[in-house]
Amino acid sequence: MLGSAIHRRLTSLGFTNVVGRTRAELDLACEPSVRKFFDAERPRYVILAAGKVGGLHASSAAPVDFMTENLRITTNVLTAARLCGSVRKLLFLASSAVYPVDAPQPIPESALLTGPPAPGNEWYAIPKIVGMKMCQAYRLELGMDAIVAAPNNLYGPRDPFPSESSHVIPALIRRFHNAKVTGAGEVAVWGSGYQLREFTHADDAAEAVVLLMDRYSGDEHVNVGSGREVTVRELAEMVREVVGYEGRIVWDTNRPDGVMRRLVDSSKMRAMGWEPKVELRDGLVKLYRGYLRGRVTNFKA
Amino acid sequence: MGTVTAADPHPSFLADKDAKVFVAGHRGLVGSAILRRLLALGFTSVVVRTHAELDLTRQADVEAFFAAERPRYVVLAAAKVGGIHANSTFPADFIAANLQIQTNVVDAALRCGSVRKLLFLGSSCIYPKFAPQPITEGALLTGPLEPTNEWYAIAKIAGIKMCQAYRIQHGLDAVSAMPTNLYGPHDNFHPENSHVLPALIRRFHEAKACNAPEVVVWGSGSPLREFLHVDDLADATIFLMDQYSGLEHVNVGSGSEVTIKELAELVKEVVGFQGKLVWDSTKPDGTPRKLMDSSKIHEMGWKPKVDLKQGLVETYKWYVENVISDMK
Repeated sequence: MLGSAIHRRLTSLGFTNVVGRTRAELDLACEPSVRKFFDAERPRYVILAAGKVGGLHASSAAPVDFMTENLRITTNVLTAARLCGSVRKLLFLASSAVYPVDAPQPIPESALLTGPPAPGNEWYAIPKIVGMKMCQAYRLELGMDAIVAAPNNLYGPRDPFPSESSHVIPALIRRFHNAKVTGAGEVAVWGSGYQLREFTHADDAAEAVVLLMDRYSGDEHVNVGSGREVTVRELAEMVREVVGYEGRIVWDTNRPDGVMRRLVDSSKMRAMGWEPKVELRDGLVKLYRGYLRGRVTNFKA
Repeated sequence: MGTVTAADPHPSFLADKDAKVFVAGHRGLVGSAILRRLLALGFTSVVVRTHAELDLTRQADVEAFFAAERPRYVVLAAAKVGGIHANSTFPADFIAANLQIQTNVVDAALRCGSVRKLLFLGSSCIYPKFAPQPITEGALLTGPLEPTNEWYAIAKIAGIKMCQAYRIQHGLDAVSAMPTNLYGPHDNFHPENSHVLPALIRRFHEAKACNAPEVVVWGSGSPLREFLHVDDLADATIFLMDQYSGLEHVNVGSGSEVTIKELAELVKEVVGFQGKLVWDSTKPDGTPRKLMDSSKIHEMGWKPKVDLKQGLVETYKWYVENVISDMK
């Protein structure tokens, strides 16, 4: 999702030589393939947005899949980038998942490693922390211009829309849509709904990535968050309206809330002139439209 | 229905001495001690490979090795190690190589299907710089790491988490042991990248050999350290292979501390250097105190046996017989 948003942004800015490979074309977890690719392509810039994602539930159910694949991707790409000799700058996408559950809010970059990441999410977070440290190590030892961005709760168009996702926005869209078409009277949502969340649109994050590539060569990672918080109740209401579902939302308060607040401090990114532009509502409208288009395509097939 | 016979339980490690054991890293301080101990205990099928024979950073080679050898037990003692200086000069090498070794070995151990148990060796440097002392297993990830070896530390932490992940998702009996500062035969005595104890042995020996008037040691001498003889660690490793199948890692320490100053004076005495011991306090001290809380393994019934002075005497003897060739 983020990778494709970055690709779009670069293309619209006039970059003429953006190289990407699908998973089928290049398995980033396979070291010899990655080495061969880098030696052949010799890119000047690298943006590492690849990795296995899926949210807390997916990560707790498949710890190995998350850890091994993501560690291998990071190690392979960084090693190959270093060895091919052509890479001038590399950006690694980390995540706010690296921060401890009880970090002060808004979460500053300095909160890294002051406490453990959320239990169940460590299989996703630890490889990200490792990647961040690897970038610092590469800068220190080799003078490689390796930088790190840490976005918070990304959402945005994805092609295809996953059939199963525990990321909250796509999950809500799918569930409200299904309730609408099946005429269900109500949709149950886990938790109290009073948790505060910050969501960042992938297009805004892509813009931040481009800015960082252009201007930032610091050792520390940089938070990328929209700065706009909503409660999960407000979010659910918004999704309900956007989808056009007329039934009730029922809150299953026996279910856990997760953390009550998760907002990153993006002042460092803002100071570089970055301003997120996508309003949550507009982002949801576009996302729902994309979801419907995808469903039509699948239905035809 | 018919009688259900109880499946024969797997023999414990120590009752399974004809099973194939792969010791990764058998040439290093830890691996060589474990290998010695296994052979002394009568294990008949211990498999080892030098770095030249099997580069553990190469995924395909490691997979092929495991598929061919099909070990029942794996002791992962292979790593890229070094002291403060080495870590800060080659951080990228440290972090990448150790990650690759760990990922390749643990994953291949699962995939080949024959491995009943794997033990991963880490290091006390995984703990936060300002962890409350003595350091319990629960201190992991609760604070920032010591900057001078955070690269090695983060790779080792990933190794612990990897063992947990394989246990949770695939039921692989993978355990992690975190030793305190180790010393003993086969240690690295290189002047640039050895740890404090072997460095002291070397420097006092060289000073004795050329009748130097003094030896200058970095720092104030006041930091407190715990040391464990590597034979004790080998013993603990085998004990854990035999008896422990928990998710959490296990600290392995002696429980006794000395200051660097006391250590230096002890080494000076053991080596027999007659000159002066001088402290260069313009140089960094490293962590102020590092003592592990090893009550978990002590309560399981394991205790160390080697006393520090005796351990130093034996280590110095090994150093003279094996490292010094034509010093005079």
